Amino acid sequence: MTAIPQPAPRRPRPDLALKHAILVLATVVALAPSAFMIVTSLKSDAEYTLDKVGLPDSLVLDHYRSVIFESDFFGWMGNSIILAAGAVALSTVVSCLGAYAIARMQFAGRGLLFSLSTSLMAIPPVVMIVPLFVLYTQLKLISTYQGAILIYAGLITPFSVYLLTSFFRTLPKEIFESARIDGASDLLILLKIVIPLSLPALLTLVVVNALYVWNDLLIAIIFLQDDSKRTLMAGISVFQGRYGDQIPLTMAGMVFASAPMVILYLAFQKHYIQGLMAGSIK
Amino acid sequence: MTQGSRLTPYLYVAPLVALLLFVFGYPLVRIFEFSFKMVRGIDGPWIGLRNYDLVLSQSLFWESVQHNLLLLLAVPFMVIWSLLIAVVLYERLKGWKLYRVVLFLPYILAIPIIAVIMKKMFQFNGPVNEVLRWIGLDFLALDWIGSSDVALWTVMLLIIWRESALGIILFLARLLALDESLIESAKLEGANWWQRLWHIIVPQMKTVIEFYVVVSVITILSAVFAYVYVIGGGRGGPGTSTMVVELYIFNALIRTSLPGIASAVSVMLFLVSLLLIVPLFAMRRRANEEEMG
Amino acid sequence: MNRNGFGGISRRQMLKAGAALGAGAVAGGLPSLAARADTPELTMWWWGEQELPGLQAFVDESVKAYTAATVKPMLQDTAVVISQFQTAAAAGEAPDIQYLWNGIYHMESVWLGYVKPLNGLVKDEVITSSNPTLLSRYGGNIYRLGWYPLPMVWIYNKDLYDKAGLDADNPPKTWDELLAAAEKLKSAGISPIGGGIQDGYWGEWFAGHGFAQNVDSAGEIVDLFTGEKDFREPRYHAHWVKLEELKKAGFLNPEISSTELYPGIDLIVAGKVATGLSIGSRLPADSKATGGRIGVMPMPVYGPGKMAGKPILDTQGIGISAGSKNPEAAAAFLEYLNSPERLKAFYDKTGWLPANVNFDLSVVEDASVRDMWQRWGLSENIPYLGNLVPGQFYEQALLPAAQQVVEGKITGEQAGELAYNVAKEWREFNPDIVENYKTWAVDLAG
Repeated sequence: MTAIPQPAPRRPRPDLALKHAILVLATVVALAPSAFMIVTSLKSDAEYTLDKVGLPDSLVLDHYRSVIFESDFFGWMGNSIILAAGAVALSTVVSCLGAYAIARMQFAGRGLLFSLSTSLMAIPPVVMIVPLFVLYTQLKLISTYQGAILIYAGLITPFSVYLLTSFFRTLPKEIFESARIDGASDLLILLKIVIPLSLPALLTLVVVNALYVWNDLLIAIIFLQDDSKRTLMAGISVFQGRYGDQIPLTMAGMVFASAPMVILYLAFQKHYIQGLMAGSIK
Repeated sequence: MTQGSRLTPYLYVAPLVALLLFVFGYPLVRIFEFSFKMVRGIDGPWIGLRNYDLVLSQSLFWESVQHNLLLLLAVPFMVIWSLLIAVVLYERLKGWKLYRVVLFLPYILAIPIIAVIMKKMFQFNGPVNEVLRWIGLDFLALDWIGSSDVALWTVMLLIIWRESALGIILFLARLLALDESLIESAKLEGANWWQRLWHIIVPQMKTVIEFYVVVSVITILSAVFAYVYVIGGGRGGPGTSTMVVELYIFNALIRTSLPGIASAVSVMLFLVSLLLIVPLFAMRRRANEEEMG
Repeated sequence: MNRNGFGGISRRQMLKAGAALGAGAVAGGLPSLAARADTPELTMWWWGEQELPGLQAFVDESVKAYTAATVKPMLQDTAVVISQFQTAAAAGEAPDIQYLWNGIYHMESVWLGYVKPLNGLVKDEVITSSNPTLLSRYGGNIYRLGWYPLPMVWIYNKDLYDKAGLDADNPPKTWDELLAAAEKLKSAGISPIGGGIQDGYWGEWFAGHGFAQNVDSAGEIVDLFTGEKDFREPRYHAHWVKLEELKKAGFLNPEISSTELYPGIDLIVAGKVATGLSIGSRLPADSKATGGRIGVMPMPVYGPGKMAGKPILDTQGIGISAGSKNPEAAAAFLEYLNSPERLKAFYDKTGWLPANVNFDLSVVEDASVRDMWQRWGLSENIPYLGNLVPGQFYEQALLPAAQQVVEGKITGEQAGELAYNVAKEWREFNPDIVENYKTWAVDLAG
């Protein structure tokens, strides 16, 4: 990975031009929707009707004003934040405890628990919704934060356990042994030694899991039916239907909705990329 | 060892086991039970295999399955496109790191957001067709989201567009971990770019490609709900052209009040996903081993 | 906005979710302990501010002014109107007064025993004048009072009709006249008919109008689902054949398949499409936007049925729950809402009409709105037959069939075939509900 780039030869390189062309093409394709979204959000409705592709004549910020002051975007984002934070926190605590035991303790059923938990990663969430919907109806958990947080936490936990167990296993044994000789309890070792050493893995985990909860539509639609509990993704699907005829306004909403994740991505590229690669199964 | 310390591991895994039993264990048992019952509301009488009978003889169900299978055609395109871009990026041309940041962007945008944007772009009188007509490709100006012959392909295009970003990053990471001396010596022996690609690079990437294929298959069989929900107007339309198995289950539960039917289909989807677990973890292990060693 | 318009989860979806919540639970017969307090307390769950801004102000004002009982109103979210009520009813905690959509949307609550018959409880005169429509009737009882109306209309842009040399004050009455007008519009370079069907609802409206053309009673449509009648018979899928005709003649706007319902209506208001489907509650705004240049008409007639060509009136309504501890007090409050003074207040607060025929129409300034209500509300009208369709049929036949006919993928006859098959599947999937439909059909045939 430390390889030094080859010194570029001076003679003309047709293949080099081709490679640049491929990258430029890929970039255009990757950016086109975002470019369309941003450009359109700055047009007036009338201008969009006449010209759907070009740059805006003058920047119209009214749509952003509407999104901020006349829609529920902040409420939706608030709900998404509550759910993501709640689910990630719950899952992280449960997984740290579980993964620590699986990685560092001897007990009957350890291997079975780990492989079962790991295989759950491949089970489609939609398979679980019918019984959970019926159960939640009986328990009055539909449209409650705690109900949805529980489901999300459950769905992301198999991956958390998998990642943390693998990471805990790579920590050198000596650390544990010397700590135990000093009389530290398991909980103390976990809190004072293992977790601080695992911060990169934990950060990756938080990124992947938060993104999963933030981006989910299926669970949000089924289990959070109340208007005031709607998440950002469910809100978007309502928003685009309600203002379907006002495409610039819709696009301003989309800019607003995608901004948090794009900003976080640009700020923490490395963790995003590592995390998503590790979590690619989700 | 004291009595307490023998119990300690179980205390540590107890919350984990409880959570997994609640979110996975309980539902997975109950879908089997429900699938044999005519459920109204919260329960109903046993009816044997009737739900399976009804589902398997319904053309809408088979259409949904067929659409999931058709979407699998996206996988080869995703692999080829990702591989091409990753290999070009690996050349470390000027600005390659910036390209990498940008090319991963599709994967950062949430599916509902990107689906809403694409839906507007692909309207019959939308910007995509405007551009196509402008450059004289009128015959390509299809009714992308309004025609039931085209809509599923539009969904596929969107899937390829987004999921390829993951492929690019996975493949590039593997490439950057390759032993460069092999490539260098091939170069010295006079192998050209294509030869190096086919004989040196691709063989070494076999496991990561396999892994990506299996992950993509799982995604397409069981995680395309958000794509079709937005593009298909919430109902798998136009007609039933973008109906997929996930949406079938969702509709049976939420819109037609048939939890028993939804459960029967859930059971079948669950069994299919079990079949995919085996290759997935074989791949994953091999990919990991390669990365570490 | 109307019942279809709100967001990702429409009321129909939630109806079905709600049925899931309610059904199966024991509807315990609550002991009717009449409250002995001097002023009874009533709870009222309602909806409608979402489609009719100002309704909340009306409800608040009415509750404040009412002295015979203390009424506690709660505005419900669109998604949970039915499920919240049915869950509460199953748990014995339903409100005294409940907002109820028409037809199958409240009939399931009736079948589950959650709603009280109003006849004998509310004055007959009030029930009749409130326009509850025929679809609130089951087993000889009536279960809702009408609150505010939704006339189901075809609209046309008078400026475009003028431009094509048509008489904008005499829109087509028969299907042949419609085709002739469409031909003229087309040759004038105008999109003759259409809107947006990408989200499917346009197909529901079209069929809701079309169903009426070849039947003599609402019961006949219910018979199509119970299996007494057959969608493959030409008269029962004629509306899809007509739609195919429009498509083949090139009369539908080219963007119809990729446009959603409301943006599609906006095309007519904006002068891009000449004729299409809408609902009456949009008219005040659309009429204002065009300077009174939006006309309304019933669907042009092609069928010989008794209901053909008659104005269609759907009504949002309100009822009393079976679990109410004080149904008499609830009934008195509903009667109060239908007093002439309250009817006027309704209009003042919402800018839209109440459903009651005793409303003094002279306060409405817009002549086109007045004219529409005269024809749709006060003259002979028929109920909206789209409200009779079972959820499974709605999802798997009603919406997809129209979408596929509109894009030229299937013929009208094939749509009839599809409808027949889905109706048959519905019976196989829902043997228990079929029985209720059969009883309902008898009522509606009357």
